[in-house]
Amino acid sequence: MNALSLISRTKLYWGLLLIFGLGAGFSPVTSSGRNIFLSYGNLTDVLRQVSITGLVATGMTLVILTGGIDLSVGSVMAFSTVVCAMLLTKAGWTAAAVMGLPVTAAVIFVAVASLIHFVFKGLARNAAAGIGHRAGATLDPWRGRWLPLLGGLVAAGLVLAFLVPQVATKFGVVGVILVTACVGLVLGALNGVIIVAGRLQPFIVTLAMMVGVLGAARLTAGQDSAVLPVYTGTNATENFELLRSMISGVVPVPGVFFLVAISIFGALLSFTSFGRYIYAIGGNEEAAILSGIRVARVKLAAYLFSGMLAGIAGVLFVAQYRQGKPDAGTGLELDAIAAVVIGGTSLMGGGGGLAGTLVGVLIFGLLSDILQLHNINSNLQLVLKGMIIVGTVLVQERNLGHLLGRWRPAIARPSPQEEAALERPNQTPQAPRENAHETA
Amino acid sequence: MRRVGSARPGGQRGPGEPRPFDGESTSSKGQPRASDGQPRPCDGEPSTTILRADGLSKAFSSVAVLHEVGIELRRGEVHALMGENGAGKSTLVKILSGVHAEHGGTIRIDGVETRFANVRDAERAGIAMIHQELNLVPELSVAENIFLGREPLIAGLVIDRRRMLTAARDLLRRLGIGIEPELRVSRLRVGEQQLVEIAKALSLDARMLIMDEPTSALSTAECRALFKVVRQLAASGVAIIYITHRLDEVTELADRVTVLRDGRHVLTARMAETSREALIKAMVGRELAESGRGRASSDGDVLLAVEGLSLDLPTPRGWRRALRDVSFELRRGEILGIGGLLGAGRTEILESIFGVDRGLRGGRILVDGVEAAIASPADAHRHGIALITEDRKGNGLHLASSIRDNITLASLAQMSRFGLRAFEAETSLARRVVDALGIRCASLEQAVTSLSGGNQQKVAIGKWLATKPRLLLLDEPTRGIDVGAKRDIYELIFSLAGEGMGILVVTSELPELLLLADRILVMCEGRMTGTLTRAAATQEAVMRLAAPGARNASGRAAA
Repeated sequence: MNALSLISRTKLYWGLLLIFGLGAGFSPVTSSGRNIFLSYGNLTDVLRQVSITGLVATGMTLVILTGGIDLSVGSVMAFSTVVCAMLLTKAGWTAAAVMGLPVTAAVIFVAVASLIHFVFKGLARNAAAGIGHRAGATLDPWRGRWLPLLGGLVAAGLVLAFLVPQVATKFGVVGVILVTACVGLVLGALNGVIIVAGRLQPFIVTLAMMVGVLGAARLTAGQDSAVLPVYTGTNATENFELLRSMISGVVPVPGVFFLVAISIFGALLSFTSFGRYIYAIGGNEEAAILSGIRVARVKLAAYLFSGMLAGIAGVLFVAQYRQGKPDAGTGLELDAIAAVVIGGTSLMGGGGGLAGTLVGVLIFGLLSDILQLHNINSNLQLVLKGMIIVGTVLVQERNLGHLLGRWRPAIARPSPQEEAALERPNQTPQAPRENAHETA
Repeated sequence: MRRVGSARPGGQRGPGEPRPFDGESTSSKGQPRASDGQPRPCDGEPSTTILRADGLSKAFSSVAVLHEVGIELRRGEVHALMGENGAGKSTLVKILSGVHAEHGGTIRIDGVETRFANVRDAERAGIAMIHQELNLVPELSVAENIFLGREPLIAGLVIDRRRMLTAARDLLRRLGIGIEPELRVSRLRVGEQQLVEIAKALSLDARMLIMDEPTSALSTAECRALFKVVRQLAASGVAIIYITHRLDEVTELADRVTVLRDGRHVLTARMAETSREALIKAMVGRELAESGRGRASSDGDVLLAVEGLSLDLPTPRGWRRALRDVSFELRRGEILGIGGLLGAGRTEILESIFGVDRGLRGGRILVDGVEAAIASPADAHRHGIALITEDRKGNGLHLASSIRDNITLASLAQMSRFGLRAFEAETSLARRVVDALGIRCASLEQAVTSLSGGNQQKVAIGKWLATKPRLLLLDEPTRGIDVGAKRDIYELIFSLAGEGMGILVVTSELPELLLLADRILVMCEGRMTGTLTRAAATQEAVMRLAAPGARNASGRAAA
């Protein structure tokens, strides 16, 4: 029973192993007898391939855990590829620079100001710990308002001082990442604000954003929504090539982005009150509100992070495919949702996590890789993918035992009495037993 | 003899000819059928038993909620089922209507022992249940609701609207219900919706009808209409189990009455042979004997002052004023009870103080003499206010989460350092709360769903006690929990008040209100109708202030 329940709880990882085994077992072999699937180059390729979907799926996990959904990530990613490519290849105040710089400055201002405020508040709370929980909840105007304001202004000024000179030349890799992340963040925040303030369904709001941002991306790209080619060395700075490279020839840089992001947000979910609130909101939003949680802020943050990660994913896309493309994100949101759901996160919210998403993303990546290694028709690949999504989710949602037979595993199982009753339907064993308890 | 489980011929009958209670189908056993002019057909007459249940028992998790309860139902009678909240009424009727398939004891219908695997089985046996929460689809018409899932079809494909409307109109007319079947249910008042539910149940050929507190949300006139239909049904031979805790209704309507207390059968009697006093005693039992706490301290500082509180709630048809000009003070260490009927605005007072955003709020709320800007529960939390909601499963707890996570949720911000959770401190806090409140559990990591109602309620209270509130708002703190846990919670409330916490408690159970409160504020239709001191507070006094109009007063005088 224990072994079975352990297997059931870790079935996702077994699934990953299974796919890995299938890939290795049926891999085509080179003429010299080497297993192509297991070759280092192939595996790092998989990591590189999944990193874009992975980044987006990381943000999507946060949103889905709150019980929401973010359909706009594909468009946001595409928009950011356009912004990124434009900044990289065109000098001067292009549409991307005109939009990107003020947005970046504003985001940095707010972020730094909030951070300083947060730190002071934390310090005050630490100092007041043990006295009474309401102490330290308010800060004096200097630490509560003016210092954060000042800090934010200074930081924003520094960022502008760093970015404005790059407008005249062309943007470097750091500048591009900064700007696109902030652009994505603002779009995500817009999602969040509309959902929270308007009390609207996330599905509708992000759907509207998906459509609107796609249009914005095309408009920004200009000239019949053209693809913006990026050739590092000829029309873009050499250092952008960094994003395609391997760190000391071992780990692909996009993979590092993905793994770092998923680790940071994983830690956020597991070790901070913010993470606990995300789960609480998804589990029962009303109860979370009535527990005094500032639900609106937490939800806003989830959409904001989702947008930001989609923005960063856009940079990786430009690096990988050497172009900024308004239609780059078509279907990306669905891939991300599929990966999250395969990873065991409930679309209802409140259950799951990023470990699952990591596995879900990897399962997806390995699968595509295997199908490609076998040269399977790309349309057939889609058919197979669809079937595998359904199959995996079926195994996820219905417990293994349910599929195999009567056995029910440990999660949310019935109480002993009910269980006993389930095993013996159409008998009445309870009444005498209850009474025996009573008299004893 | 009819066998349960085999489809009755009536079950396949199209809705074109629903015959809920005409002579052929239900009075076919030679039973003298009362004419419609005589509302009480079976008083004093020999009646046939159609349902007999013996030794019904049911336990949830490890809490037994029903011990060996029996009930017998006769043709054409209105059988009142009474008892306080948590007495086991709902569990009993859920067994009878097939909701709880697993139980101890036997059910015989027409003398044949049967077992209901599900609600459908019970329906086939002729038992229909009308739940307290109505199960109608508001966007569909009356007729569509009545025949939902059994619509008459043309050529097996298209819904035959005309036939459906005619059938519904016939049915309603025979029940004496003057509702147009084309109307959308959302346009009906609650009382009318209740009547539609009855029509729906009878279109299923119900011989036994279970009604769970049907009048709890009805106006006087609506109650009258409902009673008329109920009497008419009984006259036509339908047996009715009528759950209520309003004595007026029982004396007016019931032929016989069964009282449950703490999951046990206390009494079954003919109404003619019992009295209101006997029923109250049977229902309340030892709980009335329980003493409250000693002298209340009335000399504490004013902790909370509410001035001119008003609340407008949005409705599809504009704004509804749920509270008007409510003003009161609560002192440190005082327990202030809020009494009144359902919908009188009691919960709205608590929610307004707690900053729950339901509508437009007016008036001032002062905490410690300073006006408090409370726009959200988070603000209330910062002011040291805690609300334990009436619907602990719906919005009081995260049922799937662990006990620890539930208890620490509201204190997480205080315990975290720079947003980082302090897991050890959380566990020890949860442990302290579990020990202090006597929450019975195997482990802190146990999901809250697996706990009994009483222990769940303690977790919900514990979540807020962990935040060390100064002001505790309790909404129906003992709803649906067993007697032992109730007593624990009473003691907890007394000791918290003893420590100087200000407590505002809303409860529908009058004995509980009288037991707990130092002072009682009575609400009626959104207004304060009076404040009673402990000395002046009796059930009658509270009810007199709580009743809209003079209905309850006259009902009481008659009895």
